[in-house]
Amino acid sequence: MSQYSDDDDDYSDDGSEMEEEEEEEEPEWNDKGGSGKKRGRSKSDSGGRGGRKKKSSESKYIVWEAEVSDAEDDDEDVDEEDDFFVNGETDLPAEDDQRQYYQPRFNPLQEVEEDFDNLEKIKERLSRYAKDDDYELEELNEVDQQALLPSVRDPKLWMVKCVIGREREVAVCLMQKIIDRGSEFKIRSVIALDHLQNYVYIEADMEAHVKEAIKGMRNIYANNKILLVPIKEMTDVLSVGSKAIDLSRDMWVRMKLGIYKGDLAQVVDVDNVRRRVTVKLIPRIDLQVLANKLEGRETVKKKAFAPPPRFMNVDEARELHIRVEHRRDQTTGDYFESIDNMLFKNGFLYKKVSTKSIAAQNITPTFDELERFKRPSENGEIDFDDLSTLFANRKKGHFMKGDAVIVIRGDLKNMKGWIEKVDEENVLIRSNMKGLPNPLAVYERDLCKYFEPGNFVKVVSGSHEGATGMVVKVDQHVLIVLSDTTKEHIRIFADHVVKSTEVTNGVTKIGDYELHDLVLLSDLSFGVIIKLDSEAIQILKGVPDKPKVSIVKAREIKYKIEKRTNAQDRYKNVITVKDVVRVIEGYSKGKQGPVLQIHKGVLFMHDRHNLEHAGFICAKCSSCVLVGGSNSGANRIVDSFSRFGNFKTPAPVPPSPRRFQRGDMGSNIGSGAGRRQWGGRGNDLLVGTYVKIRLGPFKGYMGRLVEVKEKSVRVELEAKIVTVDRNAISDMTDNVTTPSQYNNMGSQTPMHPSRTPLHPCMTPMRDSGATPIHDGMRTPMRNRAWNPYTPMTPSRDNWENGNPGSWGTSSQYQPESSYDPATPGSGWANSTPGRSYSDVGTPIANAPSPMTPSSVSYLPTTPGGQPMTPGADLDLMSPDIDEEGETWLTPGILVNVHKTGEDSKEGVIRDVLSDGSCVVAVGDRGEGDTVMATQREVRLVFPRKNDHVKIVGGKYRGSRATFIGLDGSDGLVRLDDSLEIKIMKPAMLAKLAHE
Amino acid sequence: MGSAPAQIPTSFGHELRACLRCRLVKTYDQFRDAGCENCPFFKMEEDHERIVEVTTPNFNGIISVMDPSRSWAARWLRIGKFAPGCYTLAVAEPLPEEMQLLCQEERVQYVLPKRM
Repeated sequence: MSQYSDDDDDYSDDGSEMEEEEEEEEPEWNDKGGSGKKRGRSKSDSGGRGGRKKKSSESKYIVWEAEVSDAEDDDEDVDEEDDFFVNGETDLPAEDDQRQYYQPRFNPLQEVEEDFDNLEKIKERLSRYAKDDDYELEELNEVDQQALLPSVRDPKLWMVKCVIGREREVAVCLMQKIIDRGSEFKIRSVIALDHLQNYVYIEADMEAHVKEAIKGMRNIYANNKILLVPIKEMTDVLSVGSKAIDLSRDMWVRMKLGIYKGDLAQVVDVDNVRRRVTVKLIPRIDLQVLANKLEGRETVKKKAFAPPPRFMNVDEARELHIRVEHRRDQTTGDYFESIDNMLFKNGFLYKKVSTKSIAAQNITPTFDELERFKRPSENGEIDFDDLSTLFANRKKGHFMKGDAVIVIRGDLKNMKGWIEKVDEENVLIRSNMKGLPNPLAVYERDLCKYFEPGNFVKVVSGSHEGATGMVVKVDQHVLIVLSDTTKEHIRIFADHVVKSTEVTNGVTKIGDYELHDLVLLSDLSFGVIIKLDSEAIQILKGVPDKPKVSIVKAREIKYKIEKRTNAQDRYKNVITVKDVVRVIEGYSKGKQGPVLQIHKGVLFMHDRHNLEHAGFICAKCSSCVLVGGSNSGANRIVDSFSRFGNFKTPAPVPPSPRRFQRGDMGSNIGSGAGRRQWGGRGNDLLVGTYVKIRLGPFKGYMGRLVEVKEKSVRVELEAKIVTVDRNAISDMTDNVTTPSQYNNMGSQTPMHPSRTPLHPCMTPMRDSGATPIHDGMRTPMRNRAWNPYTPMTPSRDNWENGNPGSWGTSSQYQPESSYDPATPGSGWANSTPGRSYSDVGTPIANAPSPMTPSSVSYLPTTPGGQPMTPGADLDLMSPDIDEEGETWLTPGILVNVHKTGEDSKEGVIRDVLSDGSCVVAVGDRGEGDTVMATQREVRLVFPRKNDHVKIVGGKYRGSRATFIGLDGSDGLVRLDDSLEIKIMKPAMLAKLAHE
Repeated sequence: MGSAPAQIPTSFGHELRACLRCRLVKTYDQFRDAGCENCPFFKMEEDHERIVEVTTPNFNGIISVMDPSRSWAARWLRIGKFAPGCYTLAVAEPLPEEMQLLCQEERVQYVLPKRM
């Protein structure tokens, strides 16, 4: 009953206006008509559309009684209303009657149920009103339209079957028949809908009337059953048909019939009179078949086969002796190539079709389709100007307040602005442009959404729907978005995305199959799902020789391989899921990462530095060596640790994966960092593990860890959740783990706020996998993540080199965005005690590892670890500097001069000589004597919080910055130039002398 | 049947046009010869060029109204006051503004087609 209630105001209002117009046609209502006219005039005086709008919006939800109060402002209105009441009362003498009259108008059905006795009376009255102009003279609005809803006393609609294609004819002929035969027949109307073939509706009170009227009519199957349309559906009959397709040039349509069914076509010309449209599309013509046909050699028709779309090549056609005529179209004057009465131009087929054979509503061509639609000769670039034709099919609510938009047509083309308000077809936008009125009304179709590189977006329509990512490039109205899921670039229309803070993996699940599942395919091969699309599933096959990706449909997957197996690496170490392995031979040589799936001796691992195949690598287990810890206990820690040393140096990684890093963007878009990072996410590592409480009243209890707080954790015991001290638990999965490690774990938490965003795809795996096989998955993680020394391992220091071996600790480590203002340097502070470092770390460090081929590569671990030790002299960092040879002493920085046999003196470098030695002025302001010092003799002075520093190494070498604090073993600085927050090795920071 | 019926279309094909104001459907020729029964002020029969302005071939569905005042459908479609005849359920285009002004001058209300 509400189909009009939400509709635009015009309708009802107009309805009322129509009533007024009626008055004028009926002279006997002159006196009332007079007031009606007045009102009409006053309305037009009040300024056309706007005035009307206001009026109708007032009356939209308020029944007409409310208009009386409204009318207080307007004498004319009062007159009219009064007039009406007088009229109404004279017409309806009994109160009772009046109620019956009005009430049914608001809820006719109910009334009828209640007052069935009065039905006859009402009928009579209504028929009087129907004839009576008074009935329709009053202002009709939404409510009145609803009052017109059919009720039992209205004539009914009957569906009558007729010959297909003769619906209109039937309607017109019946009309003629009734005119010719006078009032002999009692049908009221006949409705022929364009979209409903084979039937017409006949409005009549009784089926008998319908039968009578259709008797003897051609084209009507009078013997077929006549169907009654339920009252509820009567309005649908009339309103469904009210959508006329507005075809216009350049519009995108889809073919509905024939071999081109479903194909995209573009409207070239519209012939409204003949209701035909000329469209251009990519021909599906098999030239050979055509040639055969033209030569009269009839080939067997394969009906189901439609040739693939291909641009017509006239030369090719000529080679097949197909006659190609050059013809000029008489109406347009354009030249076409005519082959077998088909017209071609630029390879496109120009086809005249009926408007009925194309679908024009809600056509959103995909990017690929449009690209294909572009003539290959035209330099391959799509002319994005004509993209505006795509906007015709926007949904309602396409634009939202606050959206950034760009004008794509008209005088204001390329003007950018923000949406203030969205009206029906006009959008009020606010722009920064001077001299323009703000806000500015722009036609909705002249607008396109606008994004800038760095925006995080979500795709809301098109083939990539559901994906999220970051805009990395904007090419007019096409965005290149780095998908969160696939880490691949996807090209999307700006119009199809919205800004979103959401990070999704796109589709992560289709049916039973989830991203990163190991599945068996129908051809008995297996692989890991690396990408899920709404249409297809990409699978990295378990073929170790070289990466092979196949795209399959969900039904081609036989089942998910759930079984978890182990494998042995080259040295017969047991590899389980989540162990970090390194590929030492074969195609993926040099890559390493945690193992995610193992099947039949084939490992699937994830190398976050690998941009191919969503980071997945497939390798034979015998080509791999275990790198990180395994789940087999403490002895492994030693092992793995030494191996960390081993793999310190390699791992060649593209130096600029920066733009692929989510965290990087954080600094670009103010709030980006904040909302993208999930503070303390590292805690989640612990959540879900089974722990045993060592101390306190719950000593000896075991349970699942449900929450990690700063000092305490919450553990779900068999039946209840209790709060215990962090130190009071131990992980049941690894008895060797000392409780103090949890402390360190805590300290690390702030360092990894951005863990998840970087690797969004990992989270579900970890979560899902954690519980059933937490033994296998937990432990290696903990080995790396919880062990106090891990942050100090070279792998951490070298995260920039991208050593993937440090996956657990630093793989998700994000330099820029991980800075959490709330806890600057808290990592440092917490880790300072270095509790377990002495008892666990040192023996390990001393342990001579057979896996360490060269002790040199192992060395840097020691200095690297120093910052973690309480009260460690930070100057000890400097060997690191020397070794790396990339530090850069410059004048102005504060140093400590250590001359053998002398006390160290603080001084300011005044000059640096070519041999590397420097002239140092003693004193923290350089006010003392100058001394010469070799590079070996100077040590950088480590800055304190808020000190000005100079960056003496790395990418930002030479930049000045402000030292914010330490986060773990990393220094946080804010660059003076860009105010960006960067993470530097402390060794790269040199305190500047006060000036 | 109250007032005299409007002309009934003489064909059912592409020649049909609908009056943009009252939605009466007739052939071009009929509009040219007799104008629109409901909207005589358009004076189509005098100014043939106006036919193209105030009528459209682009309409959807036909309803033959035999008894407008007693037809629910006609009332629902707000054509209950017009002469019996063939109408369309909806037209897509609005009247040209000039013609809307004319309606205003003539004190007849014009209903803009609903936007989809």
